[in-house]
This record gives sequence, C-alpha cells and structure tokens, in this order.
Amino acid sequence: MPEKRVVLKNCGVIDPQDIASYLAADGFKALEKALKLHLKQVIDEVKASELRGRGGAGFPCGLKWEFASKAQGNEKYVICNADEGEVGTFKDRYILENDPFSLIEGIAIAGYAIGAKKAYIYLRAEYHFLLDLLQNAIAQAKKKGFLGHLDIEVREGAGAYVCGEESALMDSIEGKRGEVRYRPPFPPTSGLWGKPTIINNVETLTNIPRIILNGAEWFGKMGTEKSKGTKVFSVSGDVAKPGVYELVLGSPLRELVEKLAKAEKVKTVQIGGATGRIIPYAMIDASLSFESVLGAGAITVFDESRDIIDIVGKTMEFLAEESCGKCTPCREGTEVMVETMERLGRGEGLKKDIKVLEELAETMMLCSMCGLGQAAPIPVVDSLEHFRGEYENRIRQS
Amino acid sequence: MALLVTLNGTQVRGRPGQTILELAQENGVDIPTLCHHADLSPLGACRVCVVEVEGSRTLVGSCHTPIADGMVIHTHSPKVLESRRVIVELLLASHSGVCYMCDKANMCELRKIAAELDVGLPRFQVRKHYYPLEDVSPYIARDLTKCIMCRRCVRACNEVAKHDVFAIAYRGFDSKIVVDFDQPIDKEVCRDCGVCIPFCPTGALSQPRETKTEKKGKPLVVTS
Repeated sequence: MPEKRVVLKNCGVIDPQDIASYLAADGFKALEKALKLHLKQVIDEVKASELRGRGGAGFPCGLKWEFASKAQGNEKYVICNADEGEVGTFKDRYILENDPFSLIEGIAIAGYAIGAKKAYIYLRAEYHFLLDLLQNAIAQAKKKGFLGHLDIEVREGAGAYVCGEESALMDSIEGKRGEVRYRPPFPPTSGLWGKPTIINNVETLTNIPRIILNGAEWFGKMGTEKSKGTKVFSVSGDVAKPGVYELVLGSPLRELVEKLAKAEKVKTVQIGGATGRIIPYAMIDASLSFESVLGAGAITVFDESRDIIDIVGKTMEFLAEESCGKCTPCREGTEVMVETMERLGRGEGLKKDIKVLEELAETMMLCSMCGLGQAAPIPVVDSLEHFRGEYENRIRQS
Repeated sequence: MALLVTLNGTQVRGRPGQTILELAQENGVDIPTLCHHADLSPLGACRVCVVEVEGSRTLVGSCHTPIADGMVIHTHSPKVLESRRVIVELLLASHSGVCYMCDKANMCELRKIAAELDVGLPRFQVRKHYYPLEDVSPYIARDLTKCIMCRRCVRACNEVAKHDVFAIAYRGFDSKIVVDFDQPIDKEVCRDCGVCIPFCPTGALSQPRETKTEKKGKPLVVTS
C-alpha cells in the first residue's frame, strides 16, 4: 500500500503561521459541521469510525468520549497529550510544526462533544520552541471566533518521560510531582482535579476533523478489521531516509523500512520506542496494526553491526532513569535489569541471569502501576525470545 | 445494595465502595500489606497486596481497587504468591544492613512479610541504598538506608499531624523521601511531634538514641 496523507494532508501545504491558508484548505469546516450536530451525534460518528488512540495503547477514542460525556460533573476537561517522550518518535512534532490548526480544530470538536469548557495542550519541555507557534495558532482561531465554547491553554512539561502517561500528566498539570495514580477511577470519570477528563494524543485529535468532515464510513474504508485509518510513523536509526511517513494501517513493516526508508542489512527493528517490541528481520513482513505490532509509531532500525545486549542495555538505562519511583516493581526492577544487562555486556553474566531476568520481567509486567513499568521488560523479553544466543554467549564460562 | 463477589471460590457479600482488601479482612482472608495503613489514604505503591481478578490483564492492588458486582478474586493463587515474593525480594535486595544489627528487627513489617512469604536471600544483585544517618534532631532519627519508599511517613505527616515536612525527590531507583531541599531532618523543620515514627514499617524512622551526644568524633572513653 502506498503512502496516504490523511492526518498529514495539510503539512507542507498550509502556512502554520497563518489561519487564512488553513481556512482555504477546508479548515474549521468540520468544527462548523460538528457544532450543528447534537453532541451525541458527534460522539456516535467518532465511535462509528472505530478510531483508536494513536498514543500507543489503542483505546477506542469514541468510547472514551462517551464515558466522559456521560460522567457527572459541572466541569470537564480535554487534554491533548503532546508530551511525545517515546524514544524515536517525532510525528507529533511534525504535526504541531506544520499543521497546528487541525489539532486545534480536533480539540474544539472534542470539547464540544464532552461538554468541556477548558482544554489543555500538554507540551513536552523539549518542544518549547513550538510554544509561540501554538499560541499564535490558538490566538488566530480565537480571533476568528472558532473557540467561543472552549478555552485552550498550553501547559509545558518539565522533561519527564513518565508525564506522557495520562495520570502522571494530570498530576503535572495540577502542579504536582509527575507520578502515576492508581486506577480505577479512570480519567473519564475522575481525572484532572477529580473532574471527568479525556486525554488524547496529538495524532488522534488531528484525525477528528477528517472523520467529522468526511464521515465514519470513509474512514472505515482504510485499514484492517480492528485498526481503521492511517498511522503516522517516525522512522529513525540505520536507514538512508529517516523521517515521518503516513501509511494506511495494516501495511507491511517491510514496505516502510526497506522501500520508503531505504534500510539495508537490517538486523532488528524496535517498534514503539523504549517500551516497544523488538522484532528480528525474519518477522519483517509483519503488518503494522493494533492486532500485530504498532505502539506510538516509532520505528527504530538497527543494522547488522549493532549488538542486541547493547541495545537492550541502553533501553533499560533510559527506562530506569525515567521511572517515577512510586511502585516497587518498576523502581527496583528496572535497576536490577540495568545492572544485569551491564554485567552481560561485559561478558560477565551469571548462569542464573537469564532465568532471573525472565521471572523478574513476569512480575514487573503483572504488578507495576502504569504502562511504563508494565512495558519496561518488553525489550528484555522480546530479545530473549529472538536473540537468546547472544545472551548465552555473554555468560561467563567458569 | 450488596455486591456479590467470589473470594477464593466462596461467594461473599460486600458494600459498594469497599476495597478488595477490606472485603478480604472482613472475611478472614489475610493479604499482606506494606505501604497501606488503615489510618492513611491508600497509595498502592508497594504492590505487595496484589491479587488476581479474573478478566484483568494485570494483577490489581487490593488496597485501592474497589470491589464490583460479580468480581472473581484470588488472593493466594500461584501467580499472586510468586509476584509477591519477587516484590519482597526486590525490596530486600536494595534494603541495606542485616536484621540482627537493627533495633527495629522485632517489629519490622518487611521482615515479617518476608518470613511469611518464605523469602530468603534475594536472587537479585543490585546496588544498595546507602545514605548517612540523620541524627541531628533530638526528636527523630532517620536512616534512609532502611527506607523502602512506602511513604507512610509522608502521608502520616500530611494527614495525621497536618504538617508537610516530607516530600519525594529524584526519580526511579534514586527517589527518596527528603526534607526541605534534601537536608538532614533537624529541629528547625520538625519538632516535638513524632507522629510518623510508629507508622514506619522498617527501622528507617526511630526515636533518637540516648548515646547521641557522645557519638561524633569523640573516642569512646571507658571510665571505671
């Protein structure tokens, strides 16, 4: 399947500084259409499109909106998660840089649908350079009268990976230390300041105007049975042409890696960043969809010169550094993994190491409080499955 | 309106809003807890109290998860017991010192749970948390080397004593309970209260010792 620009259709076409160019490209038509509908119709349209969250977890977007819409509360919030912290993702930055108006339109529709009067864009600290651009876009949309029902505020993060996790993100907006909360209650019933809140990724919200304008049926024609629409991928690593690519969901990984990004001698591909799956070249024909492998759309390619133990060790170091330290399995478990991988990297592995890693991984996946801890052992588990020989080679033979 | 819940194969009745832990305690099922304390708000940080709920992808913390009608709960399945053991092992792996050198060994909740779960020497090799002993204050002595980050002291200070002496700083493995900008606790910020001391499950918080004034920099002189 070739590249198809749905989310990115305005990128490079419009001027992100000027709302007039966006209006010329059918801008805010979807919002006008949505405001004429009953809010239930808007939610039904999103539900019918079967749009799933693009931040990695793949939760049905319409369902989330419906929960928040039905939740009791005089105040409700929309949060746009622009804390794109996953290693190797830069698709949200690309959208924010080139088409902030589509995102604002998506937020405005979401706000109308759930009855929110206030929306936050949680911008990653490293994206500080986009702050002016975003605020300018919001001000222009306000001036044109598109944000009469909703106030959008940009909040900047302080540089923590865990704040991309929805509950830590809300803590951060509230001004607290960014730490995960236990669930239930889930954000659609009790989120920001205990009020019903929806949190959607930049890409998810950018999909909304397209769905409202063209209809759920049009959207449903793209993709596979359980993954509708397109996905924006950020490809990096050992490739000749790294960058942002948008493909219809269900496209084969090989097309993205070898045909579009022009990778050669691929050893392994990490899909979904630090907590993503590590798959060997033998599985390169896997399809990119929620049924198979996807994550947040980070594709990091490693060629044959790379060492798996090194890749996994570096990934674990990152995760240990970014763990918030609240729950035991993640706080202590990631550190145990870092030290074990370091030992293996020096060729001083112990015979028990592989078994200990597997048992620890199992507990971390079962018991951690949030997605970070639950997904942190995935690189270890995946690499043990596909590259077990490289681990065994590092065990000291004495 | 009573909720019907299957607890370890037996049908029991619970009230809406009740947590799994409360229901288990009412029905005589013992679930070990560390960060949980009946007088403090739930936190769910230690993960020792995890239980298996059918239909859930992960194990759930029983101290903060409310019961739902038709829930099927296993509090002592092999999966649960193995996970609890690994978690206690993790806590012990970086918890420093040997128990027979610790004043609070007799009342240590971590040690009690480790004994109950049959956890011996931890399999995990990880660096230990070593911090200097904080014995400046005449009211409280802190040894963060023994701290397991259950945050009971933070909540006790906040919710019971209505002060805000403690906070969390740093991240991940390096996170610790700090006072001010990571200063040793002294009598200027915290005085004459001691509410948090009995809440500490380990020997991290204690009453200062009698010998305090004689310890630093002075050789031990035995006069007879």
